[in-house]
Amino acid sequence: MATTVSPRAKQYTDELDRLWTERPGVLGWLTTTDHKRIGIMYFFTTLAFFGAGGVEALLIRSQLIGPNGHVLSPQAYDEVFTMHGITMIFLFVIPMTTGAFGNYLIPLMIGARDMAFPRLNALSFWIFLGSGLFMYAALLQGHAPNAGWFDYVPLASKQFDPGNNIDYYGYGLIFNGISSTIASINFIVTIFKLRAPGMSLNRMPLFCFAFLAVAFALLFALPSLSVAALFLELDRQLGFHFYDAAFGGAPLLWQNLFWIFGHPEVYIIILPAFGIATSIIPAFVHRRMVFFPLVALAEILVAFLGFGVWVHHMFTVGFSTLTTVYFAAASLIIVIPSAIQLFAWIATIVTGTPDFQTPLLFIIGFIVYFIIGGLSGITVAAIPFDQQVHDSYYIIAHFHFVIFGAAVFPILGGMYFWFPKVTGRVYHELTGKVSFWLTFAGTFITFFPMHIVGILGMPRRNYTYPPDMGWTLLNFIESIGSYLLAAGLILIVANLAISYFRGPRTDPPFEGDTLEWATSSPPPPYNFAVIPTVRSPYPMWDKEDRERDNQRLERGEGLLNLEHATPATTVQDAQLDEILSMPSHSPWPPLTALALTGVFAMLVMQHYWIAFGFLVVGGLTLLGWHQNEEQA
Amino acid sequence: MTDAAGQVPRSAHAERSRAAAAVDRSRAAQPSGWWGMALFLCSEATLFGTLIGSYFYLNFGSHRWPPAGITPPEIPGPAISTAVLVGTVPLMVLGAAAARRGRRWSAVRWIVAAFVIQIAYLATQVLLIRHDLLDFTPQGTAYGSIYFTLLFADHAHVLLGLLLNGAVLYKVARHGLTNYWLIGVRGLALYWYVVVGITVAVLFTVLSPSL
Repeated sequence: MATTVSPRAKQYTDELDRLWTERPGVLGWLTTTDHKRIGIMYFFTTLAFFGAGGVEALLIRSQLIGPNGHVLSPQAYDEVFTMHGITMIFLFVIPMTTGAFGNYLIPLMIGARDMAFPRLNALSFWIFLGSGLFMYAALLQGHAPNAGWFDYVPLASKQFDPGNNIDYYGYGLIFNGISSTIASINFIVTIFKLRAPGMSLNRMPLFCFAFLAVAFALLFALPSLSVAALFLELDRQLGFHFYDAAFGGAPLLWQNLFWIFGHPEVYIIILPAFGIATSIIPAFVHRRMVFFPLVALAEILVAFLGFGVWVHHMFTVGFSTLTTVYFAAASLIIVIPSAIQLFAWIATIVTGTPDFQTPLLFIIGFIVYFIIGGLSGITVAAIPFDQQVHDSYYIIAHFHFVIFGAAVFPILGGMYFWFPKVTGRVYHELTGKVSFWLTFAGTFITFFPMHIVGILGMPRRNYTYPPDMGWTLLNFIESIGSYLLAAGLILIVANLAISYFRGPRTDPPFEGDTLEWATSSPPPPYNFAVIPTVRSPYPMWDKEDRERDNQRLERGEGLLNLEHATPATTVQDAQLDEILSMPSHSPWPPLTALALTGVFAMLVMQHYWIAFGFLVVGGLTLLGWHQNEEQA
Repeated sequence: MTDAAGQVPRSAHAERSRAAAAVDRSRAAQPSGWWGMALFLCSEATLFGTLIGSYFYLNFGSHRWPPAGITPPEIPGPAISTAVLVGTVPLMVLGAAAARRGRRWSAVRWIVAAFVIQIAYLATQVLLIRHDLLDFTPQGTAYGSIYFTLLFADHAHVLLGLLLNGAVLYKVARHGLTNYWLIGVRGLALYWYVVVGITVAVLFTVLSPSL
């Protein structure tokens, strides 16, 4: 928001600039601890992985466009569909939402100057980058993971997959999990401790509630995946027998551990999308969210209930009727908080005065696809039906409507929505709308026929199919849809890229309700000249408060312009509690991540002593880290 | 803040023990560092919950546990050494309490006392594991795999705690009990409370065939 400031206020903001501006150039980016820069690095890194995952998807669809395809060999197809799944889940959707959107926006939304632990924040990015490159190094070497993104044993055991493809998967996910664990701790502490004075929990934006729920879900879900992957690598590399039935092990232990993580993962993926939707809708319908407290509770409840439904991925493994019925019922209960949010979004739009600009179109697309994905989800919670369509393209259709339609659409809408905030420029609206319709149509044409082809019996993961199965036309339509979808996505990226250089420099053409809109676009390094105070969940619509912030700036109040600092508040009521000194640039996070990358690379190659050496180096970097006594 | 500097403590300015203790007393909520450690420990406790759950999953799926040829674990050695480790919890409580009162050397003494016992505990455990390895290995059966993995994971956390002890003691003794290291002492104490709790849970798990 552009405002005119007096010479005295300018003097204060200059002081803040001197305190908070980081080094320029590559070194500045390598050593940054600024949440905005880290968010931008997450954004471009995850976008690159999205591109890679997209190319893999197009290869899959090109292979399946007709019967007896020869675009990929069976071995290459296995690697491509596995990497597609791993990339989209672990290297795109989660880091894009939590890493890019969360990092950039949460401190701004809560009126803080940075994350609670800025150096840990940088570390989580560099570890994420290391883990992504680690897994893609496997693809470049021709040893990419090849047993599917959920990597069932015994298929993934040493006996049936003797190369080191699976080892890249196992170690890669443990490595990636470290990044997500660090990030989730950082988000929780940031939301608990750094909210602006007055932003009690009931005044916190719904976006932050969604990210808080995601952070807790990650914290409690990831250990299960890490343990599963640890057991897998101990089996494969050191001859242990966790999953080997011949020695008393249990192959189903993998499935249980994986899905104890894997189903909360679905909500980890989709909850940030809910948060984005609750940010975009009020800005474009010009009214407050309907059922604000219920939506906040529903967001948390979805994350909580997500831990009690994992067996619905395993209805065909032979559990007792009682067990499967329990998990089917638990799965259906999640419909309740999901529906609360759905009705709240729809009611807010219907009772407001909607302005159908591009971000809102993407949210409406998300609602449509969330309903389709949700309804097909109810069908697969029905045990007999699930047993019929298990491992068929029906399941692919269901989760792509949920993950692409319901999780990625809000990401795309969010990219448009916050583009003016991040860049200070405005995107091309008509091109935005065209890109929406291309993406919307492409998604439907690609994934909807998969329901039918799945019911007709086409199994997932087969690298080809014969011409006489009745699947040919549907597969052809799906592949054409995927090209259309790719065109829509490319148009979005092109629109934003061109607008970054040529878009008009004006204020955003909409009025957001949360605090990130209270500062300039792009925000200054210190985020807010005056630490804002908050009296409602819609602080930007409390004009008096924002006017008072400007007056305080003129008087030099609430500036923290004497040191690199941010206020900490109490967890529940957000009362000012102390002033924290925050670290600025630091070389230690990338160095620690580099050492950890060395550890995992050596583990894959089974050079255990060298791996131990890298671990020691990592420990030494932590000693350097603690030379300065600031927040971690 | 310039308008609130008089009322709100600037934690980084607390570079001496008494000033750090005053900041600690004035806080209405736990500091960020404490929250960070608490959440990290939630994650670690979940990790051990998963490991222990896996132990019983494999146990309940087998006809005989431990398998034929492996004697059930002996109770006295592990139980006594774990009881000794539990005895370090009051020492860490006293260390953290001393730090919060600004008594730097008192805190150091309590933590050093706990440190010595914790080292002795780990040394004993190494000897017990060596003894176990003469009887069976992690590569022999799924029982051996989960038994040793549980113990190694627990001992790795004890070892990490010892390294943290060393780092915190060095910093507090050399540079003083600043606000940063006071929170460090509190985080360290919290770490040990949870690791000791985890160790007790692991002990009951691995001894369950003999109970």
